[in-house]
Amino acid sequence: MSVSVGSMRAKIDRRAVADSIPLFLPAIPFGFVLGLAVTESEMPVAIGWSTSPLIFGGAAQLAVLTLAGTASIWAVIVAGLVINTRHVMYSAALAPVFQRQPTWMRWFGPFLLIDQVFALAMLHSDRPPAEFRRYYLTCGLFFYINWQWATALGMVVGPIIPESWQLGFAPPVMFVGLVLIGINKAPQGVAAIVGGTVGLVTAGLQDRLGILVGAVAGVIAGVAAELRAERLTAAAAAVDAVTDPGAAR
Amino acid sequence: MSAWSAMVIVLVVAVMTYVMRAGVIVALAERQIPVPVERALRYVGPSVLAALAINLAAGGEGGPHLDIAEALALIAAGCVAVWRRNLIWTLLAGMTTLWVLSALI
Repeated sequence: MSVSVGSMRAKIDRRAVADSIPLFLPAIPFGFVLGLAVTESEMPVAIGWSTSPLIFGGAAQLAVLTLAGTASIWAVIVAGLVINTRHVMYSAALAPVFQRQPTWMRWFGPFLLIDQVFALAMLHSDRPPAEFRRYYLTCGLFFYINWQWATALGMVVGPIIPESWQLGFAPPVMFVGLVLIGINKAPQGVAAIVGGTVGLVTAGLQDRLGILVGAVAGVIAGVAAELRAERLTAAAAAVDAVTDPGAAR
Repeated sequence: MSAWSAMVIVLVVAVMTYVMRAGVIVALAERQIPVPVERALRYVGPSVLAALAINLAAGGEGGPHLDIAEALALIAAGCVAVWRRNLIWTLLAGMTTLWVLSALI
């Protein structure tokens, strides 16, 4: 027994744990709100909680739990999936790194690929394959294990909290925070504003369709804003090159 | 909602989420995502989260509805999110605004 515990310890990358803790702390209140959402959801509690080990992605879980019962099951599924499409991007970015990994790792690793794990893994992508694997799995399992108790804790405390605290309003507040904290370029801001505005106008649509309509409008606006910004930079560079030939070099 | 519908939702979202996370790594390791697709994917996050926040706050049966306390709570949360870039402060700001205003109004 002590041998296996010892070898387990040897497999844990301490640096990975140290890097993960500051990223996990802000996730605790999120897990808590999610636990509350499980108890408030139209879903049976056990199935609601199972989103944590099975889906393992806070925003999609929160959407699925709060929308359940307010729209058809397909509308709920689509909303959850659209939120998670960003993982395709993460997967694509890490694909070259995973090519140097054994098959079992290529199949199991992506299961743990949440936003935080992606951010940390990208920073360590040039480490030797075995070291990268140890780092990645330590981060991923750290988040996976801790996420389970954080959501369970919210479920235990949730029912005790009085109705007057209006915690049913916490999910939209969380999403507002997630949008704005994630924005670091102007076109993303354009996408969020258009997505939110169109989402407000279409909020009355049946089956929560406004979420999808707002999302599509936001993506189109974001892409348009990015293309326009690129054209403006190109034009400015051309003007610079004409007025000051030396600057172009 | 029946247990059966709930299970369908959770399982489909879980399996498809795994497919989106693993797809490119397992199957397309050699290939690249086309540039226009990658460009569009970059804006899915902000767009859908903004639309979702608004829809959860204002949507639902009975048409769009958002009272003043709720609207101001979202605005306060948004300001704090931009200012502190921290989810805990955002949550506290939004909920405190909601509590204070709904007690006053």
